[in-house]
Amino acid sequence: MTDKTEDPFGLAAMAATWMKSMGEFWGPLSDQWSGGQEQRQAGTKPGNDEPPKGQAALAAALKNWQAISSAMATPESMAALLKSSGTMPEVLMSLAQTSLGSFLELQQNMLQRLGRLGESAEAYEFIDIDENIFRIWSDIYEKEFHRFFQIPQLGLLRTYQEKLSRVADKYNLFQSNLSEFLRLLGLPFSRSLQVMQEKLGRMAEAGELPDDTRDYYNLWVRVLEGHFMTLFQTPEYVETLSRTINSLADFSASRDAALEDMLSSLPVAKKSEMDELGRELYEIKKRLRKLEQN
Amino acid sequence: MSEVKIPVDLILSKLAEDAEKVQSRAQKASEVLLGDLETSLAQTPYEVVYQEDRVKLKHYLPRTEIRYKTPLLVTYALINRETMLDLQPGRSVVERFLDAGIDLYMIDWGYPSRKDRFQGFDDHINGYMDHVIDYIRGQHAVEKINLMGICMGGTFSVIYAALNPQKIKNLVTTVTPTNFDTKKGLLHVWMENIDVDRVVDTFGNLPADVMNLGFLLLNPARLMIDKYVGFMEHMDNKTFVENFVRMEKWIFDSPDLPGEVFRQFIKDCYQGNKLLKSKMEVGGQRVDLKKLTMPLLNIYGKYDHLVPPEACDQLVNKVGSKDTEDICLDTGHIGIYVSSKYQAKFAPKIANWLKARDKISKKRAPRKRKTAGAKSVGAKKAATKKKTAPKRAAKRKTASP
Repeated sequence: MTDKTEDPFGLAAMAATWMKSMGEFWGPLSDQWSGGQEQRQAGTKPGNDEPPKGQAALAAALKNWQAISSAMATPESMAALLKSSGTMPEVLMSLAQTSLGSFLELQQNMLQRLGRLGESAEAYEFIDIDENIFRIWSDIYEKEFHRFFQIPQLGLLRTYQEKLSRVADKYNLFQSNLSEFLRLLGLPFSRSLQVMQEKLGRMAEAGELPDDTRDYYNLWVRVLEGHFMTLFQTPEYVETLSRTINSLADFSASRDAALEDMLSSLPVAKKSEMDELGRELYEIKKRLRKLEQN
Repeated sequence: MSEVKIPVDLILSKLAEDAEKVQSRAQKASEVLLGDLETSLAQTPYEVVYQEDRVKLKHYLPRTEIRYKTPLLVTYALINRETMLDLQPGRSVVERFLDAGIDLYMIDWGYPSRKDRFQGFDDHINGYMDHVIDYIRGQHAVEKINLMGICMGGTFSVIYAALNPQKIKNLVTTVTPTNFDTKKGLLHVWMENIDVDRVVDTFGNLPADVMNLGFLLLNPARLMIDKYVGFMEHMDNKTFVENFVRMEKWIFDSPDLPGEVFRQFIKDCYQGNKLLKSKMEVGGQRVDLKKLTMPLLNIYGKYDHLVPPEACDQLVNKVGSKDTEDICLDTGHIGIYVSSKYQAKFAPKIANWLKARDKISKKRAPRKRKTAGAKSVGAKKAATKKKTAPKRAAKRKTASP
């Protein structure tokens, strides 16, 4: 009778039964295979007693698997295996919680944005422009996923692996910041079209619609320009611009570092080496000029 | 509720008319674009009389008798090219100065490469500018020369004049940012938050394409959409197309900006506003604006979105000079130079202002200065064309502003 406190779902017992049945399956299969080989060899030319190497390897693999199954079938082995695999659900659960939480946050934001469809657009105003998917994704990435790229690498090639991880990480950050920046740049277009719609509606009601198509374009460009001017002075835009430039710089630096590693195996001067040379030249020239003046 | 009357039929008939016009315009436009177009820049003849590394000194060949005792050196910015001052015959600040009888020199900063990333304010101002000015002083046997700066070149000129007042007779600054403590102008707002160390340490020089994109983003509606819509509307006009292409050539002919110049410009100017406070240091020397004692003419544009009036109009109050004048023109950043109307206003104004202050003192001229590594290309040629003091009896050509 199994102890229900240690194995409340009977997993250990089930696993042990399964392993035992696997051993009973592979054992006879291996014997049948070996028997078949002996029969085949009886029909081969005399003097050729050794079995073909491939078949011998397969027979050995089957026997190994039978041995492993028999070993795993013991209750002690099963208990150890189940104990170690018990931690996996915890890890997976925490990953799932993170992903689910992030997904719910994104979904909430999308619903809020959908809810604002149909609202009247206030001309030349950008309120709540911080609430956007890309910004939320950036924050989620920096909080949750960024740390996976910081896991220390091991082995002979660990430095290169770390640099590549850094490139991937910085690239993701740059992409998310760039998406956010481009989204902001697109805002004046959507707002200006909304404002134009309302303006044209009012003008139509008053019977003041222009005859010339050029006038519609001029009106739209003026509205668009006004929206851009307003947007460019908002703190959100300035911050996003700054973040995008910084993330581009970080990505470029990490990419250059990784590329220099690749280039080091080629007979090509690296950028950092040329920079060092440039600086030495500059310093030498400066000293020369000072000496000449003296 | 009254019905909304949208004249759909009128709009449609207008569209049909416009479509016919577009077709005829496209026909003419293809003839213009596929024909010969004169779009060359900087056609006024000059000689390169001095060169040091990538920096060249251009001396424009006189078009008339030289009427000024003091030569004029024009220092353009490190952003974009000085060819804007000589767009085309008839629309050239250089021509107007030459026609006024000014002996004109201009610095060509060249195209910085990656090795130039370490050159900062000190190298450009106390290095290249100082050597060029000494060369001109030696060539003309004068103690002082006139100096005119444009945009960042004006900032350099102000710094140079404050550090070397004994070498500058008169100073003209145009669309020159000197006060950076203002929220007017998007550049001032954006540059406050930039992490310039990260950018310069990563990229070295500030890439020209990034700068161009940045300038376009200052007003995308006008500079990226409306401008080209305007071009499409007038591309059947050969003169318009030539002028447009010329401007496009100039505006996108951008050199990279040396990293250290960018770093110091952002940190000391945009973020620290040290120049106006006389706290800026260049080459270990403090730039004290009170030492800027020569006459100063300061011109700027009322509708300048890059260097707003608030960034320019404080200079005259901070310098030590007693002879200062501010002029605010109803134009933008480059309108002063590219608009024939404003060229006709401001170029004669500068010429007359310089003429009124052109007396030369009878002190001994300085020795010619040699610098190591300086390729004085054409220096021998220039020596044979050494100018003597102009005769006073020559007719004065005055142009009304």
